[in-house]
Amino acid sequence: MSERLKPVWTPLLIGVLALAAWELLVIVQDIKPYLLPAPSLIASNFFGDLGLMSSTAFYTGTTAIMGLAIGTILGIVAALLAVRFSVVNNLITPLAAGLATVPIIALTPILNNMFNITSRTPRVLVTVIIVFFPMFVNLTRGLLQVQPVQLELMRSMNASPKTTLRVLRIPNAIPFFFTGLKIAAPLAVITALVAEYFGGPQQGLGSRIASSAANTAYGRAWAYVVASIVVGLLFYLVVLALERWSTPWIGHRRSN
Amino acid sequence: MTHTDAVQAAPDTRPSNSTRRLRAGLFGLLWALAGVALTIVMWELVKFVGTIIELPMTTSDTAMPHVWTMVAGFAEPEVRGSDTTVAQAVASAALYSLLIALGGFVIGVGVGLLLAIVMQRFAFFERGLLPFVIASQTVPLIALAPLITGIGNRVSLGPFEWSSTYSVMFIASYLAFFPMSVGALRGLQAPTPTALELMRSYAATPRQILWKLRFPSSLPYLVPAMKVSAAAAVVGTVVAEISTGVRGGIGRLIIEYARETTAQPAKVYVAVFGAILLGLVAAALVTALDVYLTRNLPKENHA
Amino acid sequence: MSTSPSTTTAVHASGVWKIFNEGQSNEVTALQDIDLTVGQGEFISLIGPSGCGKSTLLRVIADLTQPTRGDVMVAGVPAAQAREQQNYGMAFQQAALFDWRTVRRNVELPLELQGWPKDRRAARAMELLEMVQLADFATHRPWELSGGMQQRVAIARSLAVDPPLLLMDEPFGALDEMTRERMQNELLRIRQETGKSIIFVTHSIPEAVYLSDRVVVMSPRPGRITDIVPIDLGERNEDTREAEAFFESVTAVREALRGHGGGAVRARAGEV
Repeated sequence: MSERLKPVWTPLLIGVLALAAWELLVIVQDIKPYLLPAPSLIASNFFGDLGLMSSTAFYTGTTAIMGLAIGTILGIVAALLAVRFSVVNNLITPLAAGLATVPIIALTPILNNMFNITSRTPRVLVTVIIVFFPMFVNLTRGLLQVQPVQLELMRSMNASPKTTLRVLRIPNAIPFFFTGLKIAAPLAVITALVAEYFGGPQQGLGSRIASSAANTAYGRAWAYVVASIVVGLLFYLVVLALERWSTPWIGHRRSN
Repeated sequence: MTHTDAVQAAPDTRPSNSTRRLRAGLFGLLWALAGVALTIVMWELVKFVGTIIELPMTTSDTAMPHVWTMVAGFAEPEVRGSDTTVAQAVASAALYSLLIALGGFVIGVGVGLLLAIVMQRFAFFERGLLPFVIASQTVPLIALAPLITGIGNRVSLGPFEWSSTYSVMFIASYLAFFPMSVGALRGLQAPTPTALELMRSYAATPRQILWKLRFPSSLPYLVPAMKVSAAAAVVGTVVAEISTGVRGGIGRLIIEYARETTAQPAKVYVAVFGAILLGLVAAALVTALDVYLTRNLPKENHA
Repeated sequence: MSTSPSTTTAVHASGVWKIFNEGQSNEVTALQDIDLTVGQGEFISLIGPSGCGKSTLLRVIADLTQPTRGDVMVAGVPAAQAREQQNYGMAFQQAALFDWRTVRRNVELPLELQGWPKDRRAARAMELLEMVQLADFATHRPWELSGGMQQRVAIARSLAVDPPLLLMDEPFGALDEMTRERMQNELLRIRQETGKSIIFVTHSIPEAVYLSDRVVVMSPRPGRITDIVPIDLGERNEDTREAEAFFESVTAVREALRGHGGGAVRARAGEV
């Protein structure tokens, strides 16, 4: 087996073996679906109702995308301000560090009361808050962490702060933008999903997993879980693809 | 290239790492408090503006209680006629959740470390398992929470009684597990080729290399990974409590109080503060661990 | 084209002091009463141990930092104005190329900032890349080039606006010995073709002697000029490094660094 394929077939092999072992276990031990459904049962639930799966996934995915987009835009604006006014940085960065351990999702009931609970708004808002902080921290880092010699170079070429921003800081920040996005995108999906546990429209993955489980439709519940995993992976892979396309120099040892 | 060269000859009399970080932490804390103060001001401002013009949100005292109402809420009785104040109820629930999170953290970190050691030692496992570990961090595993609780409730392991609390701890532990195993693996693989060649020249066994070289070099990676794991354990605990309705923790309290906002609007805010405090306490504990673990490392160069 | 100097003096520093943290407990005098005159077309090296202020002096001349006292005139105008007018080009120990730009676009950077139109920029950049013999790498990325090649690109960039003066802060410091010698020859060739004045900071005595017309010896605590050693080796060629006169000059500089002065003329600034 060629060396290049090794990194691909090993996880594939392990994945297939794990699924097979799972299936075997369920059959041999006669484990009931309410305990642990067999992969085959989950698959039939998933593919048997693909339309339902996709519409449910689409609902939660839309909440996530909206929160991700708005949170990212706010993060960009705040980071650009932070370059110009260090007060912004000093205020937000410690807050970001502190909030990292805090279950911000707990704000959802409060937002449900403030905004229309029957709409997406509270869920999108809590996603925006959760996405904002990692995006801000990474973008600010990218804009500010330029090598001193590069700043000296810009000064020696008589570049204004605005020009330095355009020509040096922003291109420098692009890899950091993607680092932040790789954290924020999965967070957006998780938040959009969990926010559904607090009431409101029930067409999303979070609500349906809970209700399927409550109605003992475990095969269906697990199928929804598979759909959530697909959504999460999709978000992440899109970010990865964008990153590869826009920053071909990542992975190479940077010059000097 | 400036005055640092001139003072090179003098001994390093800069303050220790711990002092520096304490100072930086204090500085950050003050700014964070300023941020909190700003938020309070904006909250009241929004409420005030809401009485004048139509805002997209409800600014009534039930939906958005005044800050002083929230503060007063701490001392309110939890239920009409009860002896326990809201503050007491929230504090005990937060403590309960903290202990669960702590348990989840310890288990997740322990298993994560073990897996990292295995993955470092045997390239086969790294190739086979690491992609799944990394992918797991991008997917909402928390979605499994209601199902895990369901399984837990129905399984009996002999005399051991599995309560829902253990389901929550399990969920917290697997959320803490992933960042730890990735970070620990990176740390264990951190030693330079030169350092490894040195150990080989001493005919050191893999186990000796692990204890004497890899573990010490991995600290700068373990510590940030632990912070992420702690955060994941806390958030996982609260979210699992919410999604499974398990009693005793702060998550359940938030949901209950959220239903009582017409009668006692401040309660849910106190509960949310409790959850925030829970997170901060966990972060403080991990930071203390961090300071202790890195106390003897060379002073970071802040040029 | 850059403004041509109105005098024959490329750089004139008089009474320059640079004190860090003045008045505080960690006050450091990086430069003490520096007087230095560099003539048009001269190659001057600044050499000395760590902390002697050579890089600080270069940065004062470049207006990257301001002197605490004294002034610096570059091509007849104050240093700040010289920087605004782009009267000098600068090269650093790290090439400081931008990873997100191709080699050619890196060289175009100063021209972009000066507002040159696209095709003029591209043409000039190719001209410069040919001068450093890297025209074939115009569309490559910086990380695809070796350290020496990156430095050549950096030097090409520093020549972009055709300034009369080049300021170089140990540009060959990170390179191995063989590449260093090749780069030194390159630099001398470029200088011969363009007639520019060069101020060059280095740690290496042979490098200073090989490249310069005069070697300015500095010493630390406080940073000051202790000696200026004139070098008379004529036109450099492959035998120069093995010639008797070369070793004599190297010895003269070494003695000056030790503080003995030997047979070198203790020249005050301006006198040669």
